[in-house]
Amino acid sequence: MGDIEYKKAGSILNPLKSLSFFTRPAVTEPLEPRRAALRYRGFHLNDWEKCVGCSTCQKVCDNAAITMVRVPSLPEDELQGIRNLRPAIDYGRCCWCALCVDLCPTGSISLSREYVHTCTDDELSSYFVLPDPRGMHNEHFGEGWNKTPENDLIDPRRQAMGELQAEQRIDHFGEIVHGYDKQQAIIEASRCVQCGMCHEACPTHMDAPEYIRAIWQDDLEEAVRQIYNTNPFAHTCGRVCTHRCETACSIGKRGEPIAIRWLKRYAMDAFTPEQVRDIVGTPQVAPSGRRIAIVGSGPAGLTAAYDLARQGHQVTVFEGLDKPGGMPRWGIPEYRLPYERLDADIAVIEAMGVEIRCNTWIGRDISMEQLREDFDAVLLGLGLQLGRSTRIPGADHAAVHKAVEVLRWVTEGRAFKVPRTAVVIGGGNVAMDAARSLARLQRKTFGEVRVTVSALEDFDHFLADPEEVRESDEEGIVILPSRGPQECITEDGRLIGLTTLRVMSIFDDQHRFAPRYDETDRQLHEGEMIVEAIGQMTDTGLLGEELTEALEWSRGRLQVDADGRTSQPWLWAAGDMVHGPDVVHAVADGHRAARSIHRYLTSDAIQEEAS
Amino acid sequence: MRAENYEARNHPPSHEFEINFGPNHPGIEGNYALKVRVHGDQVVAARADGGYLHRGFEKLMEQRLWIQNIALVPRICVPDPAPMEVAYSMAVEQLCGLDVPERAQWLRVLQLELSRLAAHLFTFGGHAATTGMYSPMFWGVADRDLLLDLFEELTGGRVYSIYNIPGGVRRDIPEGFLDRISATLDYLDSRLPDYDNLLFTNRVFVTRAKDTGPITQAQALEWGVTGPNLRATGLAFDVRRDDPYLVYDQLEFDIPTEQAGDAWARTLVRRGELQQSVRILRQVVERLPSVEGPIRAPIPNPLAWKVPVGEAYVRIESSKGELGWYVVSDGGEKPYRVHIRGPSSMHAVQVLEHLVTGARIEDVAQIMFSLDACPPEVDR
Amino acid sequence: MSEHPEGHVHGRDRLRNSQTVGEILETAISFERTARDFYRDLAPKVSKRIRWLVEELAEEEQRHFDLFGELMQRDDIHAQIQARIATPAADNKFSDCIHLPDLGDDPDDQTVLQYALGREHAAMEQYRELAQTTAPGPVRELFIFLADEETQHKAELEKLYYEIVHSGGV
Repeated sequence: MGDIEYKKAGSILNPLKSLSFFTRPAVTEPLEPRRAALRYRGFHLNDWEKCVGCSTCQKVCDNAAITMVRVPSLPEDELQGIRNLRPAIDYGRCCWCALCVDLCPTGSISLSREYVHTCTDDELSSYFVLPDPRGMHNEHFGEGWNKTPENDLIDPRRQAMGELQAEQRIDHFGEIVHGYDKQQAIIEASRCVQCGMCHEACPTHMDAPEYIRAIWQDDLEEAVRQIYNTNPFAHTCGRVCTHRCETACSIGKRGEPIAIRWLKRYAMDAFTPEQVRDIVGTPQVAPSGRRIAIVGSGPAGLTAAYDLARQGHQVTVFEGLDKPGGMPRWGIPEYRLPYERLDADIAVIEAMGVEIRCNTWIGRDISMEQLREDFDAVLLGLGLQLGRSTRIPGADHAAVHKAVEVLRWVTEGRAFKVPRTAVVIGGGNVAMDAARSLARLQRKTFGEVRVTVSALEDFDHFLADPEEVRESDEEGIVILPSRGPQECITEDGRLIGLTTLRVMSIFDDQHRFAPRYDETDRQLHEGEMIVEAIGQMTDTGLLGEELTEALEWSRGRLQVDADGRTSQPWLWAAGDMVHGPDVVHAVADGHRAARSIHRYLTSDAIQEEAS
Repeated sequence: MRAENYEARNHPPSHEFEINFGPNHPGIEGNYALKVRVHGDQVVAARADGGYLHRGFEKLMEQRLWIQNIALVPRICVPDPAPMEVAYSMAVEQLCGLDVPERAQWLRVLQLELSRLAAHLFTFGGHAATTGMYSPMFWGVADRDLLLDLFEELTGGRVYSIYNIPGGVRRDIPEGFLDRISATLDYLDSRLPDYDNLLFTNRVFVTRAKDTGPITQAQALEWGVTGPNLRATGLAFDVRRDDPYLVYDQLEFDIPTEQAGDAWARTLVRRGELQQSVRILRQVVERLPSVEGPIRAPIPNPLAWKVPVGEAYVRIESSKGELGWYVVSDGGEKPYRVHIRGPSSMHAVQVLEHLVTGARIEDVAQIMFSLDACPPEVDR
Repeated sequence: MSEHPEGHVHGRDRLRNSQTVGEILETAISFERTARDFYRDLAPKVSKRIRWLVEELAEEEQRHFDLFGELMQRDDIHAQIQARIATPAADNKFSDCIHLPDLGDDPDDQTVLQYALGREHAAMEQYRELAQTTAPGPVRELFIFLADEETQHKAELEKLYYEIVHSGGV
């Protein structure tokens, strides 16, 4: 089309050409509702089964149009990161920008192709809607704008954690995991949508969203402060926690969860114990004059000690072994938790004024009666320090040991005869710890690894963490599932190995333990040493017969109330010995017991007892 | 109307009186107040008073995360929202050092030119209506609707596309979309003779528009007039050519100019731009299939996104003129300050008052529409 | 691991090549009673920590004792009370397990359970064998029933064994 004619003055006649419209067919619009485009941004749809109520949609909405509403009939599972909340939309505010869709971690919310809603003044509340899969008016107009790889704003990938490869790590006990550098940590922390599922799933309800955000802000002091709100075993948990938080993480629903544990490690590694002490501060309260004895310096006992000392009480922790720390030190190998990191955690606790007396066995050096007399309250944190035995024939041979025992030797650096071949019975993490520790010693001493792990369970039901199994396999350990130990075989008085039978099934149809063996499939596994890692129990001998009779028990464990108090008003118990199953639960237990003890010590009841 | 803008004057009551042109008036693109003092049907004085569409965007943007603002910014200019989106994203990209992938740049040009077409059709219609010709107005709005159909298909929204995100665009084109664009362009080409007949070569319209609201080039440059209004005074300045952004340097298009600087010239320039936009779009439709790659650069989790400290100024040729966006970041999660130079800000205040003074009452609306003065982007 | 070392071959004088149903049932009842008494006596001797286990075992035996008592009164069984059943000569399981072992001064929970499991296993096998050598009829049904009871009981104990011994720290 070139230049316009009649530019200077215009034409009178040209407009008349428009009369030709009378000869053209009329444009007809159909009366049926017009179908919207395939990616139209209409009213919301929400798949209630995918939706976990994380509220990320609410956070990103720039018009504050979304309110999370509780729907009691929906499932709720803190540990899986599922809330019975669902987003409700105020269409008086919503602008249909679809950022909620793009940012939804589970991909449950979408916009439909429906766009018409009418109501009278009386029905204005109909603009406030709880979207479900069916559609605003129970008629499905089809999905419009939904989550596709193009517009998905959630990055499912986690920052990879550097690790030593098998060949590099097999002959020493140095830490396997490298840890994040600053860039990795900030990027990983930035993936968090601050939904708080981690906080709810954590046994001790750590302020994880807060410390993740602080790490993102590169304010590591604030991160430590937030961590210490709930967990003085920060270095420890930052390395070996079972990370229930990560299981509940919203991002983990479709992608890799935020590496909450590694972020904790990163923040803690930035400070010396003295700096951590300065960040959390030493107690500024007046001494209460109350004394508490804690038996056992594991996570339960020391967490309670930390809390109670900060409340002004005088705390003495009695530890039978020559170093404090409990299972984290004596059970967890150094390649997972270096001793200096555990020492750092303990140093901060001691800086609160907690006295730890090692090499002091209650029951032997000091009796429980003495503790009862000298202290206002006693907390038992004895853990599960006795290993169980299969008691199969030959299990009483000198070269058959409990895993707990062997791990303790390795921790204390005892020079014992490293077996050239070894068999470990059991399929849990303790078995892996024992196997991998022996493997390292074997590699150092003999140049080769010859460890066999024999477990009752099959790989689908293995008790050990998949990472442990994978890493053990990489380190040359042979893991045999579905084998049941039969006999420890000796020859000329020397232990030569373990015979096992193939397990055909462990559980019966009602899921009860009822192993059935294939008697025709018997194998002998070479082992100069056999390590039993089948289970552990608490050594409650220190209580003495009288106290044992006086206390209430529940199926083999001390009976305690919800706060850990036993049937004796002056005695509490916490950690593995009453609950378990890991460090972070012990920390939570320690907090509960400390709160209960503090309430008791500041209550009227104790004044009366004194008088 | 603010009190200070109300001048009480001693004058014979029957010769001059004040009329409110706006804030609600069918001859305005939005809400705007122009108090005109008339003597008979001659305007002797005019006072522009905007603010009726002040929604506080610049302040609102300071209170929202960088990502949340993408939903806010199209609403700044109602008829031509795309440049606002693109300018915001470009400013953030400049601050973050984000490289926008090539395909995204082509898609942005697609969106911008479609938006220009829609805006010009709207403006023709409006201009025609201010001279009493309602048929071209209906045509303009109806034909614009076809472009809105295209936007709906591409972005999910008809008017406020919310298509841009810092780093690129949110979705790629749907199946068969380029064919539908071509069909729509063919249709628009076929419609131009109709518009010419009824509007552009209409003796009545030409007579009304010629010599109405004239601006000289010198005045335009002095007053900060940009866009078609400037090009109608003979200066071929277009940001797309003179400070190219996106992939405009790879596209062939002319810069239509006129000399007279009046309403007629301005309309003709816009008519020419309509043709040029069609031309650009045809090139985009042809090139797009061979441009590969992602449609956006990766950004951090939008809920944890800090833009580095700095300031960015981005300018874009919108349908109304040179649109400028000035964005300041203090390193935080929200903008520290945003200032928008809406091109109509220059046109709708002093320029409008000047042009309207001495004009006849029936031309007041025409002058404003011929300037394509868009109150939403004046007030923000 | 549920195997218990075989007890002594004791009380061989109670064996005969064939016994009446009544005699077998009497033996079975006394088996349950002896076990119950054994556990009852043991309870105060063990640590309070595991006393619950021993008390539960005693209760289970009491339940079986009551059950067998009722069965003896059933008409169809009663009618067969004098019927003779051939019992394998090597059958000595009941008798052996009537002999009560010495579990030591302070048996722990694992020891008690291993003993209990062994007992249940022996009982289960005994009834099974009896069922096999009995002609079809109410007595055979009875033995099958008793075998199932003991099997179930053994399964419960194995579950308990796993919970107690194969747990903690793993």
